[in-house]
Amino acid sequence: MALTFAVSPRAASKARRPGPRGSALRRHLTGWAFAGPATLLVVGLSLFPAGWAFVISQAKWNGIAPATMVGWRNYEQLAQDPDMLAASGHTLLLTVLFVPSSIVLGILLAVALNQRIRLIGFYRTCIFVPYVASAAATGILAGFVFNPQFGAVNEVFRHLGIPAQQFLESPSQALYIVCLIALWGQVGFTTVVYLAALQDIPRELVEAATVDGAGKFRVFRHVTLPELRPVTVFTAVWQTITAMQLFDLIYTTTRGGPLNSTQTIVYYIYELAFQTQRLGYGAAAAYVLFAVTLLLTLVVIWYSRRRGAEVF
Amino acid sequence: MRVKLPFSPWHLLLMPLALLFVLPLVQMVATSFMTSAEINHFPPKLIPTALHLEGYRALLSETPVLTWLGNTVLVSTISVLGHLILCSTAGYGFARLKFAGSGLAFLAVVATVMIPMQLLMIPTYLMFARIGIVDTLAAAFVPWLASAFGIFLMRQFFLSLPGELEEAARLDGAGTWRTFVSVVLPLARPALATLTVFTLLSSWNDLLWPLVAISDDHRFTLQVGLASFQGTRRTEWSQLMAGNVIATVPLILAFLFAQKRFVATMAFTGLKG
Amino acid sequence: MTDPKRALAAGLVLTLSLSACMGGTGDSGKDAAAGYDPNATVELTWWTGQTEVAEATAEKLAAEYHALHPNVTIKTSPGASVADELLTKLSAGFAGGTYPDISYAFGSWAGDLAASGKAQDLTEFVNTPEFKWTEIPEAARQTATVDGKVVAVPALVDNLALIYNKELFDKAGLAYPTDQWSWDDFRNAAKKLTDPATNTYGTAYSVSGSEDTTWHLWPLLWQQGGKILDGNTPAFASPQGVAALETLRVMAVDDKSMYLDQTDEKYLPLFNSGRVGMVISGPWALLELKEAGIAYDVTALPGFNGDHQTVSGPDLWVLLDHQDPNRAGAARDFIAWMTSAETDAKWNLALGNLPLRSTEAHSPEFAAYTKEWPGSQKFFDNLANAKQARPTVSGYAQLSRNVGDAIAKVLQGAATSQEALDEAAKKSAGLVG
Repeated sequence: MALTFAVSPRAASKARRPGPRGSALRRHLTGWAFAGPATLLVVGLSLFPAGWAFVISQAKWNGIAPATMVGWRNYEQLAQDPDMLAASGHTLLLTVLFVPSSIVLGILLAVALNQRIRLIGFYRTCIFVPYVASAAATGILAGFVFNPQFGAVNEVFRHLGIPAQQFLESPSQALYIVCLIALWGQVGFTTVVYLAALQDIPRELVEAATVDGAGKFRVFRHVTLPELRPVTVFTAVWQTITAMQLFDLIYTTTRGGPLNSTQTIVYYIYELAFQTQRLGYGAAAAYVLFAVTLLLTLVVIWYSRRRGAEVF
Repeated sequence: MRVKLPFSPWHLLLMPLALLFVLPLVQMVATSFMTSAEINHFPPKLIPTALHLEGYRALLSETPVLTWLGNTVLVSTISVLGHLILCSTAGYGFARLKFAGSGLAFLAVVATVMIPMQLLMIPTYLMFARIGIVDTLAAAFVPWLASAFGIFLMRQFFLSLPGELEEAARLDGAGTWRTFVSVVLPLARPALATLTVFTLLSSWNDLLWPLVAISDDHRFTLQVGLASFQGTRRTEWSQLMAGNVIATVPLILAFLFAQKRFVATMAFTGLKG
Repeated sequence: MTDPKRALAAGLVLTLSLSACMGGTGDSGKDAAAGYDPNATVELTWWTGQTEVAEATAEKLAAEYHALHPNVTIKTSPGASVADELLTKLSAGFAGGTYPDISYAFGSWAGDLAASGKAQDLTEFVNTPEFKWTEIPEAARQTATVDGKVVAVPALVDNLALIYNKELFDKAGLAYPTDQWSWDDFRNAAKKLTDPATNTYGTAYSVSGSEDTTWHLWPLLWQQGGKILDGNTPAFASPQGVAALETLRVMAVDDKSMYLDQTDEKYLPLFNSGRVGMVISGPWALLELKEAGIAYDVTALPGFNGDHQTVSGPDLWVLLDHQDPNRAGAARDFIAWMTSAETDAKWNLALGNLPLRSTEAHSPEFAAYTKEWPGSQKFFDNLANAKQARPTVSGYAQLSRNVGDAIAKVLQGAATSQEALDEAAKKSAGLVG
C-alpha cells in the first residue's frame, strides 16, 4: 500500500522573482480568478447561512407564520429542555463509547494487518469494505441483521443458548447497537489511518529496540505507540465529530426511538426543524451543538499542543 | 509448553474479524435474491435456494429506483467534476499565487470546516427555496461543487511540488493558466484521484441534505429513495436488500477495482485532514 | 485589514434584511376574491397530495371542470411525494414565492396555515346557502375553523373504529364486539385472545410517539369527559387523562395483551396476517384488509359510561391568496364544485374514502361503495360519534409529539400515567397559541 504522496509537504518553492511593477494588479486578479470561485462557493454556503441561522435562532418561527424575534429565549428554553438534556446525554454516551473503541480497534487491526502473512490482502479488503457502504444502506442492513424475530444475530444467540434480544427495539439496548453498527462501518477508516502511520515509522527505530533485547510487546508499547500519538490526536477529533454528527444511521435504524433512547442532538435538531417545524428553536440547538464541537476540538488541540504533538 | 501453529497466530484474530466485517454484506446480497417465504423461514437461511428476482422486480415496479440511480450518478458526476475543476484551481491559487487577501480567504475556507451541517441546513434550505432550486437535483449537487477539504487537499499537494518545472515553463513564456494546465495538472494526477474518490464517496452516500432539500420522489437520490422506501415498507426485506445492493454495489466494485486509491484517500484524510 | 466598524454595520444591515425574509404577509382584512370576475381567464395550480390512482382521478376531475369552465385551467400535481411533506413544501413555497392556489393539507396544520396570513378567509363563502356547509360533519368543520375563521374546506373525513378478526374470536369462543362494548369488555377480550404460544395478541398500539400514537388516546380522554386544551393551557394531564391512559396501560403492561409497535407501519400488517385480534383504525385500513382476505367486521369504539365518541382526522383543501381576486374566486368556485355531493361521489367514494357530505348517503354511488368495501357503512355511521375535533392551534404538532412520547413511555412501563402526562403538559405549556 504505497501512499502516493509524502506525508510531510516538501518545502515549497522559495523565492519567486518579482514581476514587473505594472503586473501587480494582474497578479491579484489572476490569483482571485483561480481561488475565487471555490472560495466564494464554500464561504457563501457556510458563513452566510451560519449568520442567517443565528438570526433565526433568535426567533420563534415555524417557516409559515411570520417570525417573532424573541432574543435569547430559545437558548434559555434549551437549557431547561429535558429532551435536549436527554439528547445531549445520548450524544455524550455515544461519543464516549465510539471514539475510544474505534481508536483501540483501529490500532489493533492496523497492527494485525501490518503483518506479512498470507491472505493479508483479503483481510484488508474485508475490513475496509464496510466503510464504502453508505450509512443509509448500513442502517437498513442492520435492521435486518438485528431483527428480533428472524435476524442473524438472534439466530447465532440461539445456537449459543443465549436468549433472544430485542436489540434496536429495546430502549436499553438500542444506543449500544447503533454504536456497534457505527463501529462496523467506521473502523475501516481508523485502521487505514493507523496502518499508514505504522508504515511511516522508520524501520530502524523498531529494529534498534529489538536489538536492545526488548520484547515485541515492549517495542510496541514504548516505540510504536508514542509514534502514533499525533495521528491519534487527529483520529480522536475526527471520530468525535463523526460520533456527534451521526444522523444517517439513526435515521435508517431507529428514527430516534424506541422511547427516544437513540435521539441524539443532531437527530433532535432534524426533528425540530423538519418534523415539528420549530425552526428558531432548532437553529438555537444547532448553535449549541456548534459551540460544543468547537470547544471540544479546541480542548483536544490545546491538550495535544501541551503534550508537544504538533498536528494542526 | 509452546504449541507451534502451522500458520501465523494472527490468522486466529484476522479470520473471524474479516468474516464479521464482510458477512453482513454477503447476507445483504443473498437476501436480495430470496423470496419472502425463505426470509421468514425458521431457522433463517443464509443462502437462497435459487436466484429469485422477485425483490428486484417488485422494487423496479413499485419505485422509480432506476431514476434514483440515474440521479445519484448525475449528482456524483457533477460533484466530482466541480471538485476537480474548482478545488484544483483554488488549491493552486492558494499554494502558488500570492494575491491580496489570499491569507484571509484561505483562513475563511478552513474555518468553515468547523460549522456542522445541521446549523446550515435551515438557512441553506430557505436560500435554495428563494432561488427556486429546492426539489431539483441542483439542490443536491450545488453544495458539493467544492469543499474546504478539497481546496485544502489540493493546496497541500501543490505546496509539496518542487517549483522548478513551473519556473521553467514561465521562462519559456507560458502564462499562469497554461503553466497550470499543461505542467502542473499532469503532475497532480495522484491528488486528483484522491479528490475524486473523496468526492464520490461523500456525494454518493450523502443522506441528510438531499433528504431535506428534495421531496419529489422522481428527484430522489438513491440514499433518500432507499430511506423513504424503508419508511413505508419496513417488512419487505428482499426489496429493501435489493435496493441496498443497487445503492452499495457500484461503490464496492469501484473500491475493489481501485482499492489502492481508496485506501490512499482514507489515509490522506487521516494524516492531513 | 477590514475596518471593524464598517464590518459591524454591514453585518447589521445583513441581519435586518435577513429577518425581513422571515416575515409573512399580514392579514389585510380585505376579501381575497373581492371584485372576482367569473369570466376572466385564469390558471390555477393545485397540489393534490395524492399519488397513483387518486392523482389520476384528480387530473380527470380537473379536466372535467375545465370543460365546464374553459376560461379556467388547472395545473394539477401531487405537490410532494407523500402528503406529510406538503407542509414543508408549502413553507418553501412561501419563502420562494411559488406556492399553489389550492393545496391539500392535514387538519393539524390548520392553525399554522391560518397564521401564515396566506390562507383565504372563507367564512362568508362557505356560509352562503349554495355551499351547504352544514352537510359536512361537524368535527371536520371545526378542524377547518381557526379562531372563528374558516380557513379551509374539508377534503376528506374519517374516524377511528374497532376492527376485529372474526376467526380469532371464533377460535377463542368469544362473542363478537358490539357498539355497546365498554373498555372493560375490550380488555377482557384482548386478554383471552392473547396467546404467547402462537404469538397472537389481543390488540395493538403504535408507540412510535407520532401523531398516530397520540390521537388514538383522544377518544378515551373525551369519553372520560376530559379535554386536550383549556384555552391555551394543556389540560390532558387531568384525572380523566390519567384514567384514559391507564385503560391502555393495564393491557400493555399488566395483561401483556397489546402488541407495541415501535413504528406506525407494523400493526396493521400484523392484524391482516391474523396475529392481532382487534385494532383501532380508520377507513383507510379497508383497502389492505380486503387484499388480505381475512374475515373481519367493524364496530364503534368501546366506551366509558355509554359514551362511544371517536376522533376524526379530517384533511383539508386550503386556498391560498395570490393578491389576485380572479384566481382567488376561481379557486373557490372549483373547490365548491369539487366538494359538492355530486363531484365528491366521483372522488372520495370512488377512491374508497367516506363521503364528505351526509346527503351522499342516498346516492347510488354510496350503495355501490358500501358493497365494495365491507365495514364502510359502519365507519360512515360512526361519523356521528365524532363530536370533538383536535385543536387547530399552531403548536399542536409539538404538543402531540410530547403526548406521544408520554404514551410510549407509559405503555412500555417506563413511567406512570400521571408522571408522564404531567411532564408532557409541562413541556407543552407555552407552545400553544
